[in-house]
Amino acid sequence: MWVGIFCELTEFALLFAVYFIARAHNPDAFEAGPGRLSLAAGTGYTLMLLTSGWCVARALHAMRAGRKPACLRWLLAGFVFGLGYPLIKILELRWNFSHGLDSDAGVFVVTYYYLTFTHLVHVFWGLLGMLWVMARTAGGAYTVAEHGGLEAFACYWHATDILWLMIFPLFYVLR
Amino acid sequence: MSETRKVDLAWLLLVLLSVAGAGLGGRADAGLGVAVMVAVVMAVKLRLVCDHFLELRSAHQRIRLAVYAFAYGMPLLVVLTSAFGDTLARLTGALIP
Repeated sequence: MWVGIFCELTEFALLFAVYFIARAHNPDAFEAGPGRLSLAAGTGYTLMLLTSGWCVARALHAMRAGRKPACLRWLLAGFVFGLGYPLIKILELRWNFSHGLDSDAGVFVVTYYYLTFTHLVHVFWGLLGMLWVMARTAGGAYTVAEHGGLEAFACYWHATDILWLMIFPLFYVLR
Repeated sequence: MSETRKVDLAWLLLVLLSVAGAGLGGRADAGLGVAVMVAVVMAVKLRLVCDHFLELRSAHQRIRLAVYAFAYGMPLLVVLTSAFGDTLARLTGALIP
């Protein structure tokens, strides 16, 4: 599990290196950049992912306490909040394109698409993983003593959270 | 305080910090001071997720240190890039066509 998570962190470390180098070479574009994006969308992603992560953490606590139905309910809630991320992405993309933020919109916007689309792919994997652990939980595969699969998924989902908490201020806040 | 309650409080704090962080984004000014504030908020949020969601305190020491290094390295890079962006641009000039 941790090998996979460190692969994910390494991938994003390289992408963040691209961000910082691009920022150093184009300070004016990156200073003006956050003003071109929808801060409401960025905040929305953050709140959805944090709330989904909280639900997954609560699901793990419920499993440890032997409360499987509660675990399943928390996972379902985590999935619903997690789905908020791609839904906001669709709305944000419409908003972006209507404001001319396409692949010709400059180095800031290209870097922003480069990092956020990669993160979106990781969120998709996470949502698929969440469906899998929900099915396994519903099928009784996890017990109080053995729920390593659920823990592994939770770690991946929280690592995806961590990456977003880095991406959000870099593109939507920092001028 | 129970672990469950700690997770709830961590989430609440994360939400409040995220809204406060977004407030920083509404500021028109730029500069090292704002970069430091952004970095501090980022570091606190990352530590909360690491400790209360990822449960890193119960992980192996090497894993814990590696993830903390990543989590604290990013806010540090935010401040360093803001303070020494020209130097970074000079050092990486050969990478840019």
